[in-house]
Amino acid sequence: MIRVLFFGAAADRAGTRETELEVEDGATIDEVWPLLVGLHPDLTPMRDTLAFAVNGEYARREAVVSAGDEIAVLPPVSGG
Amino acid sequence: MFAIVERPIDVGAVIGAAQRPDCGAIATFVGTTRIDESGDASVEYLEYEAYRPMADRKLEEIGAEISDRWDVGHVSIVHRLGRVNPGEASVAIVVASPRRGPAFEASRYAIERIKEVVPIWKREVWSDGYVWVGSQVGTREPATGRP
Repeated sequence: MIRVLFFGAAADRAGTRETELEVEDGATIDEVWPLLVGLHPDLTPMRDTLAFAVNGEYARREAVVSAGDEIAVLPPVSGG
Repeated sequence: MFAIVERPIDVGAVIGAAQRPDCGAIATFVGTTRIDESGDASVEYLEYEAYRPMADRKLEEIGAEISDRWDVGHVSIVHRLGRVNPGEASVAIVVASPRRGPAFEASRYAIERIKEVVPIWKREVWSDGYVWVGSQVGTREPATGRP
């Protein structure tokens, strides 16, 4: 299982702040994305605006995730 | 000092902590909540959230980048979360350096980097709905949301 956290507008669109997913070993973020959209279709239009983090650090879409990882779905940041 | 807090920022204390005998300049940037207006609607307050502890770590990384680039004696960044009312501080950046140039430049750098890399988000709560800044997702009509 991986844990997926949603923030800001992504949490709004997903309707939740957190979900758990079963993923195949060696799956990339790009491959996890369709599973997330399957659960939370309203995320679909945000795709190109999102960044991702794996275990608290920015990760590219081709980054591999493994069981126990924490994936964060990050809309464009707007601190300050 | 790098901190994310859920209470009002004591800007004076952050500045006081930066005073050092080997520094002749302290530059301070304070970001505050502004009331925007659009038609009959206006912003009532801002609400911030963060992905922690990643956000805390990113603030420290910005501090390290500043120390690598400029001759500074002290850097503090304090960001507030939760509801921030008009006129209140959402972020305070204080840089002390021997001379004013690096203090001004590094404080500007810090706020620009915060807006690029620190996983913090703000929601504008208007009198007629809300909008996530940067995503334009919310309950306000798109036609009245800010571009």
